Amino acid sequence: MASVKEKVQLRKTDSPTRKSFSERMVEYGEIDHEFVVFESDIGYSTYSYLFGDKYPDRYFNMGIAELGTMAAAAGMAADGRTVVVSGYGVFLTMRAVEVVRSFICYPHLNVKILSSHGGLTAAIDGVTHQATEDIAYMSTLPEMKVLAPCDKFSARAAFDIAMQTPGPVFTRLMRDPLWDMYTEKDTFRLGGSHVLRRGGDITLVSYGDIVFQALEAADLLAKEGIEAEVIDMYSVKPFDAETLLESARRTKAVLVAENHQKRNGLGYEIGTFLLKHYPWKSAGVKSLKFDHLGLEDTFGESGNYYKVIDKYGISGRAIAEAARRLLSGARR
Amino acid sequence: MGTTVGTEAKLDERIAFLKKQAQQVRLHIVKMIHKAQSGHPGGSLSAADIMTALYFDILNVDPKNPRWPDRDRFVLSKGHACPVWYVCLALRGFFPIEELDTLRQFESRLQGHPVSTKTPGVDATTGSLGIGFAQSIGMALEGKWLKKSYKVYALLGDGEMQEGVVWEAAASANKYKLDNLVAIIDNNNLQNDGYTDRIMPIEPLDKKFEAFGWTTRRIDGHNMEQILTTLREAKAHRGTPFCIIAQTVKGKGVSFMENVRGWHGKPPSDQELAQAIQEIEGGLK
Repeated sequence: MASVKEKVQLRKTDSPTRKSFSERMVEYGEIDHEFVVFESDIGYSTYSYLFGDKYPDRYFNMGIAELGTMAAAAGMAADGRTVVVSGYGVFLTMRAVEVVRSFICYPHLNVKILSSHGGLTAAIDGVTHQATEDIAYMSTLPEMKVLAPCDKFSARAAFDIAMQTPGPVFTRLMRDPLWDMYTEKDTFRLGGSHVLRRGGDITLVSYGDIVFQALEAADLLAKEGIEAEVIDMYSVKPFDAETLLESARRTKAVLVAENHQKRNGLGYEIGTFLLKHYPWKSAGVKSLKFDHLGLEDTFGESGNYYKVIDKYGISGRAIAEAARRLLSGARR
Repeated sequence: MGTTVGTEAKLDERIAFLKKQAQQVRLHIVKMIHKAQSGHPGGSLSAADIMTALYFDILNVDPKNPRWPDRDRFVLSKGHACPVWYVCLALRGFFPIEELDTLRQFESRLQGHPVSTKTPGVDATTGSLGIGFAQSIGMALEGKWLKKSYKVYALLGDGEMQEGVVWEAAASANKYKLDNLVAIIDNNNLQNDGYTDRIMPIEPLDKKFEAFGWTTRRIDGHNMEQILTTLREAKAHRGTPFCIIAQTVKGKGVSFMENVRGWHGKPPSDQELAQAIQEIEGGLK
């Protein structure tokens, strides 16, 4: 069962999750001398260069060649070694997806993917650099585990989870610094989640940057007397089904919001899961209210992050609007 | 502890032994593909002499300890030719020879393309062309990083050179001066749809690899003396990665398969098998 945070306080951060993840990687390098890092020439963007500066003999920059980088990582991991592969989400999860599938997941190798620029958080870079299908590709692969931390502390924890989980782990990270919310005292685990706010009217589920938008939506809804429960589903695969079911049993309404294509995102997974496992009897209802926000079969675009996520319907305002609609029973 | 098989013997005796061994390898290849009624005979037969030399002279491996950390690595980047690999592994003692009859069958350890987690002696899962070679880069990097003395051998098809990732790998081998890496190209000039030099020309392979910083040799891939002496040269070579371009004939050893496009991925009938066995037993022409 997820821990419930008493009070969430957002603090402006100067460290995007990609940087925090890499900083933890450098620290981890001191206690674990056996793992190596493969970079595909964006080390100064993913901050993996920090590892390379400290451990030059354990850092391999394979150039602008994601396919070759991923395959070479598989070769180095073939006898059990842990290899971190760093790059941008679009290239690692799509250009190299077949290598990840057949030559990393299938032989269950200890390859940990540091994937930056997840979702529309690379807003100003435009569509070619926005990984808006990464969760779908990675979570579809057998053996793959998927993490999506939202702040400095959960990103640092994600690195530890990745290293301590056997087999392949994908971590979705963000380009821009947003907020910090957790502290060093918070704990994270594979298959875990955090309930950030208690509420009995609707369950808002999200991960990564949209967690902050869900919190904002909960604030907006509270002013209208609607109490939203907010869950940070930082472990996307496997996700915390127990916490989800417990919350949904009480609220009888679930709204998933994600910075990703709706199709084959976490919302699809949760929707089908609830169809099969929702405790209708103990909830005492015959229908569960469910909706899902994300990219509606469309690409994103360049622009200011907040303007872009609002246009594509995953801002706090948009989530609050969808929650009202869902609770009022109106159909879109 | 791994050992190569009888490296102390005189060269001409070694060559005679390896030629005989290659004959056995070819016989098993056609028999197992016939039994499975599925598989790739052409590319298995073209690589048979090279594979025999690797497994019965060059590679330092231990069938009793397939994951021995100091073993030489072998990657069959042209994974569809796995019948020749399975035969060599079986004859070398990695698993029982009778198991060859299970090729491609339900719940067999001998999958349609090589799988490292299923078959003893298979160091890398392959089957998607170009990717095995790229994996061998990581294996060689690990050897360099750990200052190990083992070598990594990768066998590629010539059609496979059309995959872009091959050249990503070739460049990285040069950057890291992977002189513990030996690439062998089974240059039979035939791929699924026809002649390689017509589908998408990839020559001159020697000049290309030299431009990428590799040392290259061109040999006759069915001349056991050339194969053996060049592989031994590659094994001793230091300073650069080493590429052997072996001129071969697809389907070598079975007249009706030789240099015929249709035998890329087709099993022989009962009659064809009988003729193939007879011809292989008669020796290479």
